[in-house]
Amino acid sequence: MRGSLSELIKGLWRENPTFRMMLGLCPTLAVSTSVANGLGMGLAATFVLAGSSAMVSTVRGVIPEKVRIPCFIVIIATFVTITELLMKAYTPLLSRALGIYVPLIVVNCIVLGRAEAFASKKGVISSTIDAIGMGLGFTWALCFISAIREILGNGTILGLQISDRFEPPLFMILAPGALLTIGLLIGLINYLASKQKA
Amino acid sequence: MNQLVKFGLILGVICLIATLVLAVTYEITKPKIDEQMRLEVQSALKRIMPDADSFDAKTLDDIEYFEARKGAELVGYCVKVTGFGYGGYIRMIVGMDRSGIIKGVRVLEHQETPGLGSKINETRPGEAEPYFLKQFKGKQARTVSVKKDIDAITGATISSRAVTDAISKTATEFFNKVKR
Repeated sequence: MRGSLSELIKGLWRENPTFRMMLGLCPTLAVSTSVANGLGMGLAATFVLAGSSAMVSTVRGVIPEKVRIPCFIVIIATFVTITELLMKAYTPLLSRALGIYVPLIVVNCIVLGRAEAFASKKGVISSTIDAIGMGLGFTWALCFISAIREILGNGTILGLQISDRFEPPLFMILAPGALLTIGLLIGLINYLASKQKA
Repeated sequence: MNQLVKFGLILGVICLIATLVLAVTYEITKPKIDEQMRLEVQSALKRIMPDADSFDAKTLDDIEYFEARKGAELVGYCVKVTGFGYGGYIRMIVGMDRSGIIKGVRVLEHQETPGLGSKINETRPGEAEPYFLKQFKGKQARTVSVKKDIDAITGATISSRAVTDAISKTATEFFNKVKR
């Protein structure tokens, strides 16, 4: 039980996909414009991660080493499409809120990364736990980055006005703001991690 | 050679299974999705034409529209408009009175960039409808244009223009053809 707990929490900090592994930076740059976007994308990705990791782990015995990548891609893409169709049919409200983010999950290399590095080698339960941990790590990283960008770039948090005393610099919610924020945060976190080690 | 065939077969089988699963899911969800779409159109119609109490679906060449009636009187038209934005098609429905003055616009579906183009359909807290679309109210649909009538969204000029230009183009075409 202690083993699976450490598998869950390693994604949150020590092996955080965004800050420590530098994975999934493309969707991170693109959707971290507001906290609501970040949260939605993070949770949708977590769901797909857990599902596809469980699936990859289940069929890992029959997939030959040499064609594993195309097999994983097919499984992930299938899972994303099913998620999208089901959301459209049964949870139209959620689908309207997240609609544009769900197809973006296919280009998220965290999903393929976990399939390759973990799920293809370990059992179904620990793969699922690992995927959920990674997904939650991705979610908090996204929320953190998007909170900084939303506050500075739009003067709001979760859509609520914070202060009207300053004119928010719009570039923070445009692409340069994403690159600056993520770069500075990764620098800071690397610094903290190196101190921790010393 | 032997390996090549074996790997090809395994990959083929996996793709086949994936295709089957997707086909089944699609077939099961399709009626549900269509139904949701229909409900969405219905609620959009009521929002953009609150005066009307019945909507008759019609088509005119390739324009889909609804005749909005209050009792027996024709009060306006709700026309389906498709624009081509930055990320794909933007599907909208535009309510107009009989002279082409816009009563309301609703976006049904779009794939614009989250945080930029997606603002065409975002509502500010405390407001009832998206602030970009609200600008269209009371404008003449046939001549509506960015800058003159409509302020484009910062950082999303293409999306803003796509919405505006599609409305004016479709409205012009529609009023040239419809018999009044």
